[in-house]
Amino acid sequence: MNAAWLPLTALATSLLAAVTIFALPEDARRLRTTVNLVAAVFKIVLVALMVRRVAAGHEDIFSFQVIGGVDFVLRTDALGVMFAGLSSLLWLCTTVYAIGYLENSANRKRFFGFFSLCVASTLGIALADNLFTFLIFYEMLTLSTYPLVVHRGTEKALNAGRIYLRYTLSAGVVLLLGAVLLYSLTGDQSFSSEEGLGDYLNDHRGLLTLIFALLVGGLAVKAAMVPLHGWLPRAMVAPAPVSALLHAVAVVKAGAFGILRVVYDLFGVELSVELGVITVLAVAASFTIIYGSLRAIAQEELKPRLAFSTISQVSYVILGIGLFGPFGTVGALAHLLHQGLMKVTLFFCAGNYAEELGIHRIDEMDGAGKRMPLTSIAFTIGAFGMIGLPPVAGFITKWYLGVGAIQAEMYWVVGVLVASSTLNAMYFLPIVHRLWFRLGPSHGKGGWPEEQRLGRLETHGWLLWPMVFTAMASLGAGLFAGLPFSPLDWAARVANGEYLP
Amino acid sequence: MMTLLLALSLLWPLGVAGVVIWQTSSTPSARREYFSVLWLSAAWPALLLAYGGEAQWTMDAWMLGGEWALNSLSRPWLAFTALLWSLAAFHARGYFAAEQAKAQDGDQDAERRLLRLALLWPLTLLGNVLLIIAQDIASFYLGFALMTFAAYALVVHSGTEEARLGAKAYLILAVVGEGLILGGFLWAAGEANTLTLQGVRESILVAEHGAWMAALLCLGFGVKAGVIGLHVWLPLAHPVAPAPASAVLSGAMIKAGLLGWISVLPLGHEQVSEPLARFGNYMLIAGLAAAFGAALYGVFQRHPKAVLAYSSISQMGMMTALVAMGLVAPEVWPLLWPGLVLFAAHHALAKGSLFMGTSISEHLPRWPLPLVWALLALPGISLAGAIGAGLISKWSVKSPLYEMHHESLITLLSWAAVGTAALVSVALWRQWQQRHQGGSNREQWGAWLVAIAAALLTPLWLPLPAGSIEIPPLKEWLGIMWPFPVGVMFAMVGWLLTQPLKGKSLPAGDLWWLYAGIVGAVLVPLRWVGHCCIQIKATSVATAQKTEAMLMGHLTRLLSTESWLRHHTSGLMMILAVLLAALLMWEGQR
Repeated sequence: MNAAWLPLTALATSLLAAVTIFALPEDARRLRTTVNLVAAVFKIVLVALMVRRVAAGHEDIFSFQVIGGVDFVLRTDALGVMFAGLSSLLWLCTTVYAIGYLENSANRKRFFGFFSLCVASTLGIALADNLFTFLIFYEMLTLSTYPLVVHRGTEKALNAGRIYLRYTLSAGVVLLLGAVLLYSLTGDQSFSSEEGLGDYLNDHRGLLTLIFALLVGGLAVKAAMVPLHGWLPRAMVAPAPVSALLHAVAVVKAGAFGILRVVYDLFGVELSVELGVITVLAVAASFTIIYGSLRAIAQEELKPRLAFSTISQVSYVILGIGLFGPFGTVGALAHLLHQGLMKVTLFFCAGNYAEELGIHRIDEMDGAGKRMPLTSIAFTIGAFGMIGLPPVAGFITKWYLGVGAIQAEMYWVVGVLVASSTLNAMYFLPIVHRLWFRLGPSHGKGGWPEEQRLGRLETHGWLLWPMVFTAMASLGAGLFAGLPFSPLDWAARVANGEYLP
Repeated sequence: MMTLLLALSLLWPLGVAGVVIWQTSSTPSARREYFSVLWLSAAWPALLLAYGGEAQWTMDAWMLGGEWALNSLSRPWLAFTALLWSLAAFHARGYFAAEQAKAQDGDQDAERRLLRLALLWPLTLLGNVLLIIAQDIASFYLGFALMTFAAYALVVHSGTEEARLGAKAYLILAVVGEGLILGGFLWAAGEANTLTLQGVRESILVAEHGAWMAALLCLGFGVKAGVIGLHVWLPLAHPVAPAPASAVLSGAMIKAGLLGWISVLPLGHEQVSEPLARFGNYMLIAGLAAAFGAALYGVFQRHPKAVLAYSSISQMGMMTALVAMGLVAPEVWPLLWPGLVLFAAHHALAKGSLFMGTSISEHLPRWPLPLVWALLALPGISLAGAIGAGLISKWSVKSPLYEMHHESLITLLSWAAVGTAALVSVALWRQWQQRHQGGSNREQWGAWLVAIAAALLTPLWLPLPAGSIEIPPLKEWLGIMWPFPVGVMFAMVGWLLTQPLKGKSLPAGDLWWLYAGIVGAVLVPLRWVGHCCIQIKATSVATAQKTEAMLMGHLTRLLSTESWLRHHTSGLMMILAVLLAALLMWEGQR
């Protein structure tokens, strides 16, 4: 039985929420919050339903023809549902967080409207079944995140937004060129088709390589691979929930997810290996990992340091693809989820420090553990996860990537992983040390830059609980990775689908 | 029943840590007790577990698949570890009594320090227990990492300049070690597609690059075990850590490195490949070098705890050499390993009581001084092999070596024991010089006395396989005991010879200062390169912006020609029409 309504309703939920929010007046705070939360919870329910149906072996397809040979298709497959699950779960967390974060600030209607639109595009990206549909939502994502990046409207924010648009729109053009070339070569190519592009290998080797380069090159901008990463650290001027969204859920992940789609579903792993592009991908990812970590060490402010850490961490996903083998794939897919959970936690923490205490620079964080214990514990969990220490989820992915590298006989990758762990330790442990072991304003030494008492607990409840939840989830995803429907389990399921016919 | 005990021994320390946190919000600081009976009991379930018998557990949901076991190796290991942790906890209660009184009087600093210690102590213990029972890689690595990072608080406790340096050295080397271990585990596990330590052993045995995997893992664990070259944190961290923390650090935690070696190396396997055996030889040399080098360097230390730290390095060097025998001469391993475990257990308790003793000599109870110093010396004499458990443990490693005819190693080990005796005498002498009256309380010396007794009687309570340990025959006693008097004599002669150099001593942490210098020197050109990169980037951004502005200028100028075109539309159209006509005519002529 084909439940075509399911992907469509899931997509419509966020779109409808966006439209409703735009229609509501600016000061209808309570109603807007209700709409936001109801839509987010409803979407989680729908995605849970999808997960159950996909686990049972059903694939729901919704499609209509746009013009001859070009179809709009939404399909629930294991990979797509995985990304959809991540985005809808973290959407709820981020929405709750954003409601607390933007309390009493201006332009909330615009913010939440585009926020919903942004998540709708992410869901569309997740469920798109061909390049055409994917492109529509991909560009929609670009445009809907711009207002979020420039939300504050300051000179710096507008500047960052301009750079963001320059990068992403030019990447969009490159991507479009690749897509058009592909359509002219093969016609409509579904992500779910079995045959892949292998038939064209003999006659069009050069063209295929060009198409691959265009597609991946276009996607790599959003995935922030060096040297196409310049927009990401600048986009840090955005409010914390937007950074969380950019880094963990939507934009950067959309790029990585797109590369996953292109390699696994469009070209197929065998063809990619045959073209020799897989190794290039692995080398580029390794370079990004090391470069991002090195730059992160040099940062003196918290959010830019986290931004460079994202650049480094997202490339783990790309590295996993580059390892060509089931373990690498499992590592890549699981990291898509794990990195999302851990990074969103870290950004929530950064936002909490900024809101509650006015902390932006790392050297202002001394002794913050006493003043904000839960936030600091969450930060510690996230940081240890990024380093790849057990039992946090980051260890699980690092393990799979490393084992995958050995089995693909790419020994140097293990060196990259170890170096990256060490570098991560070099830029996260000093922060953790400052939080817990240094004396600061909470010990009567100096003062916080801008302290506010936002809530009865260490900060506003809306800011606190999403962060606690994601921190617990990052811990649980590592500690109980063996449970069914854990991120690892689902990633293994997807990888089995790719490698075992 | 065993499963309940296991769950309890892991959850109890976690619960204790939870109670410590809960206490901070529920009890006012003036009445807060950091070292309550509950806190002391953190290690008791683990101790019970060790005596509960052998057992095995599998948990699929746990990380990558949990596999835990209590076997003939992990049982005695857990027993001595948990015992030392319990005794050190008691000692800590006495040791920190004064600091706690200060905290109750409202000293914020003391309160903060004690809270940190009381919270992270049970967590460190939890890591230590977990790594002993773990048989799968993920759990082992988890336990190891938890222990390593939580122990940072134990080292840095006092917060002085020296403590921060010691803790920094500890942490830097720990991170390096974690990286090496991760690399080694990934390599070995990836080759054999395994998730258990057993699988890692087999993988190292059969893999082409087994020796390299073994080297990575050995160096990684070697950071903890104080293998030569990576040992520099020990003499920096031990003198600054509080005495009970030093006791567990030197007694229990550095043994985790040793256990790591035993867990991952294919010791005692008949088909040890040639490169692996060669690696064993290197390890043997490294162990002996540590055993002698640390003794030679350590006797020139001023701080008694630094001397004891060097003694730990020396002792671990001997154990390294014995582990290496499992690769070099596999046939000796089945007989050797119970002796090695006894050696480790005895060293744990003896070194633990020696470190606790440093706090006794700093706060002397009102006992006759000769008695105190006799008691202080007892574990040291035993460590040198002259009495008690030391005598038996020396014999239990020597007799298998005798049987297999490794006499040269025995001689070397005996001379290393001379070093031990010299180190212990120097430590006692330094303690005598730096003694202070008063202040030691019941828990403090009580735990110390029990630890001494436990150290001297180790073979009686250690749950080793039956019949694996025996008392040496009387005629061998002299052969085991001679290093002690010789060592004491060496120490005395050395003291007399170095009298002219009065007041000079070598800095603790030997190679650390060399490493720090090298890293500092390497950083200078790196900074310069970084600076150049920044400049290059700035220049290229400026150039790009200039080019962009120029191009945009051209474009704007081009667009401005539009109005000119509009102005001259009619004329231009005429010209175009004429041109077209001419073209058509020319076309028609052909």
